[in-house]
Amino acid sequence: MSATNDYSEVQLSIENVGKVFTSEPGLLRSLSRRRTSAGYVALEDVNLRIEENTFVSIIGPSGCGKSTLLNLMAGLDEPSSGQILMDGLRIRGPGPDRGVVFQNYVLMPWLTALENVIYAIETAQPSISKGNAKEQAREYLSMVDLEKAMDRYPREMSGGMKQRVAIARALSIKPKILLMDEPFGALDALTRGYLQEEVLHLWENHRVTVVLVTHSIDEALLLSDQIVLMSSGPNARISDLIDLPRIRPRKRNMIETNPDFLAVKQRLEDHLFRETRAIEEK
Amino acid sequence: MTKSSLSKPMGLLVSIVSVLIALVVWQILAKQGLLGKNFPGSLETLKELQWWLSDPFFNNGPNDLGIGTNLLISLRRVMIGYSLSIVVAVPLGLLIGVSRLASSSANPFIQLLKPVSPLAWLPIGLFVFRDSELTGIFVIFISSVWPTLISTSFGVQTINPDYLRVSRSLGASQLRTITKVVLPAVMPNILAGMRISMGIAWLVIVAAEMLLGSGIGYFIWNEWNNLSLPNIFVAIIVIGLTGILLDQFIGALQKRFDYQL
Ligand SMILES: Nc1ncnc2c1ncn2[C@@H]1O[C@H](COP(=O)(O)OP(=O)(O)OP(=O)(O)O)[C@@H](O)[C@H]1O
Ligand SMILES: [Mg+2]
Repeated sequence: MSATNDYSEVQLSIENVGKVFTSEPGLLRSLSRRRTSAGYVALEDVNLRIEENTFVSIIGPSGCGKSTLLNLMAGLDEPSSGQILMDGLRIRGPGPDRGVVFQNYVLMPWLTALENVIYAIETAQPSISKGNAKEQAREYLSMVDLEKAMDRYPREMSGGMKQRVAIARALSIKPKILLMDEPFGALDALTRGYLQEEVLHLWENHRVTVVLVTHSIDEALLLSDQIVLMSSGPNARISDLIDLPRIRPRKRNMIETNPDFLAVKQRLEDHLFRETRAIEEK
Repeated sequence: MTKSSLSKPMGLLVSIVSVLIALVVWQILAKQGLLGKNFPGSLETLKELQWWLSDPFFNNGPNDLGIGTNLLISLRRVMIGYSLSIVVAVPLGLLIGVSRLASSSANPFIQLLKPVSPLAWLPIGLFVFRDSELTGIFVIFISSVWPTLISTSFGVQTINPDYLRVSRSLGASQLRTITKVVLPAVMPNILAGMRISMGIAWLVIVAAEMLLGSGIGYFIWNEWNNLSLPNIFVAIIVIGLTGILLDQFIGALQKRFDYQL
């Protein structure tokens, strides 16, 4: 697969991707242990181009296939049809060019915050020295304001702290794209707001491409350059793409007062309401 | 779990009192002849215990060993057989947990052999090894391997798949995932299995040694032939106390590896 000129700005390109779930035994059986109903068409003919250094949010009704799409981008799962290209090359599995943040943090409970990040760094750079890995892990934890909690175990941290460690871990492998699956979904409103600001800051200072799956319209408005709307499943597709005014830095009150943002907000609400009603009436 | 309002030192005190009461009741029952003629009382037994403990390590030939000497013989067999069982059970359990091929191949043997009484292996051990020492170790091995094996593979099968997804998303190889993620994640399961295995090993050695000619089990057999019931009680007390220590040791390890997920 060679990069053509069309792709010059496009970093991640999802082309005619479909995903059908069948039960397929994996080599590590436990890796693939999940709900399986044979032949469920989750995604159908999804096309999306994500430009370098943009912040893209994916929003859609519950169960439509947002996580499925994100897992495909992460390489944790394979598309049943179509392909996903990263910098013009077909994705064949997970790689350090993509960092993933999961909804429920998923820190290793037997490792401290620092050790969790070190594990990621040493995995991505097998030849790095112990000292260097530690040094870098400290840096990334400081970036998310956790220098004081580095030696704590996950059980000794709040949800917000754990998610910050998870973000530091995902960034520590120096990915070109950060993939986040409802990273703030499990947090209380205040912590969520705080972490949104923190991610906004991080992103404004260290531009990477971010793909964020979210349920929250306000979160999408506050953070994104572009919002991807998905229709309800099965056979979910991308039903709309909305470009937001690229006003940066963005402040929370902007999305409550700026007429452009308000219009988008109305559109998102209508869409989600329609799609959710479609599900409930099925 | 919270027990009732008894404080810790209070609890200890109650335990001590309860043991003392049992000793008194035992003494009374025995002296009344309610447990049969010449049944030793607790006083007599404790005196014997004191005698055996005053010089535990003497060696006057195979049928006259100090109780400490016999205990060490048994402990040695248990330690070797048990260690071998762990060395086999943990990697095999990981493999069975990870691979369907391995679990399907191993399952018939596990299912068939697990419920077999340890003593059934004695004649086979004796026939193959023609040596009581090796037979003892073999019997310990074969009877203590199952709990750790099963608990380890169960742990792998029930591991939180998110850990594996995180590791994979970072690009970790399967080997790295197994050693750095799966192994620590199932450590609590491994230790739970090891604790049961240890209990079984210590149970089995006493029975096996009655037929093997040395060790604490043989001590009991020998004292039965001498019709010395107090000495048998002494052995029971020593076996019980040793069992507690072995169990507590692994219990402490379990605490160390309890991540409180
Ligand atoms: N491994 C699997 N096997 C079978 N079906 C699956 C599997 N994973 C997901 N699905 C199904 O695919 C659909 C999409 O799931 P997905 O988790 O991607 O939705 P989602 O949009 O992330 O939902 P939510 O908003 O609840 O997080 C769902 O109907 C789900 O049941
Ligand atoms: Mg999801």
